[in-house]
Amino acid sequence: MGVLLKYILISMVTTAMLLSAGLFAGVSAYDDTEFVNLLNTAKSAQKKASSVGGEWRDVGKFIKEAEQAAADGDFDRAKKLAQKAKTQSELGYEQAVSQKGKARNPSYLR
Amino acid sequence: MKNALIATVLVLAGSLFVQVLSASPEDDVRLYQDYFKKRFPSIDFQEFANGVYAISAQQRENWEAIEEFPPYEPFIERGESMWNTKFSNGRSYADCFPNGPGSQHLYPQWSKEQGKVITLALAINQCREANGEQPLKYMKGPINDILAYMAFESRGQLTNVVIPADDPRALEAYEKGKEFYFTRRGQLNFSCDQCHFPNSGMNLRSDVLSPAVGQTTGWPVYRSGWGTLGTLHRRYSGCLKQVRAKPFAAQGEEYRNLEYFHTYMSNGIVLNGPAARK
Ligand code: HEC
Repeated sequence: MGVLLKYILISMVTTAMLLSAGLFAGVSAYDDTEFVNLLNTAKSAQKKASSVGGEWRDVGKFIKEAEQAAADGDFDRAKKLAQKAKTQSELGYEQAVSQKGKARNPSYLR
Repeated sequence: MKNALIATVLVLAGSLFVQVLSASPEDDVRLYQDYFKKRFPSIDFQEFANGVYAISAQQRENWEAIEEFPPYEPFIERGESMWNTKFSNGRSYADCFPNGPGSQHLYPQWSKEQGKVITLALAINQCREANGEQPLKYMKGPINDILAYMAFESRGQLTNVVIPADDPRALEAYEKGKEFYFTRRGQLNFSCDQCHFPNSGMNLRSDVLSPAVGQTTGWPVYRSGWGTLGTLHRRYSGCLKQVRAKPFAAQGEEYRNLEYFHTYMSNGIVLNGPAARK
């Protein structure tokens, strides 16, 4: 086998290994796609709420706890927590957006 | 004739409506201060500087006992030595604050150059950084020492926040702070005013709620609950956490604008920091 061919083979194998590692990292450390999807939705809902100053206090904590539960293999709990983070983020976003530009001296002051 | 009358009425109603929508800061401050004067008619206006102790006789007694040996005194002393210690480049705080340590009445102020509200805490860190020193953390620790000393040296000055007319962005910052103040937040869906206007004087668990006017005069504050001095922005975060909203960054734009609005409403009230609270 020529040196060139050997080199090509080695680099092909390495590339394949790197790709599959990257693929797994992309899918995430958790082998529950439903949870992974939920977690990603929760995180983007959190970002959206935060972008309008409407994030609630415990959302970050719920997400951390969800990740911990998933790492421990307790996907039921992990999903419940991620769902809570998602719902609260959506409510916080609505709360902020519905008041934008409307907050002024309340009627009891006038 | 009839049409003219209707038109006049409509125009009048319209202008009234616009006035309600675009109350000037001067209108606001009158509205807020009058509200509390009416709500607590027997209280001397300057007493609002003492927060909840202006309106709760029982809490006041505890407080007067605490004030006999003020827990914030060591902080003032440390702050004084910070003030008198030169930075490594040989300059000092005095080079940044030409009016000396008693400069609190000049803050928060609008900076046309920087296009933002400058609080005293931010001015202190800008001074440090301009002189090659590390900035101080904004909620806990030594920032409170230097703030305590400057507050102490400013005692007796009056709150006098200015919204300069030559830069519309200043009024915008005030309006943003106002919007923040009256916006409901968190899982409990409360705005600042709900606790500190119509519920001032009422009990919330073991606390009596203080009136909004006068809340900015005594910072930094020694809170027994903290066991130390803390900044106004730390308190803002505490109140937001109570309603289960995520707090904002100390000295970020949200809190600086809030402080601008919130301090403006106490214009005319004496500065009396540092203070002690339960
Ligand atoms: C759920 C009720 C509640 C809400 C909403 C609330 N606070 Fe408070 N706040 C309190 C309580 C309780 C205290 C401690 C007792 C006191 O001094 O009023 C307090 C204290 C303070 C103090 C300290 C007063 C002093 O004299 O030391 C400031 C300043 C303050 N709040 C500002 C705010 C601002 C600004 C907001 C809106 C971001 C806000 N609060 C929202 C309950 C609330």
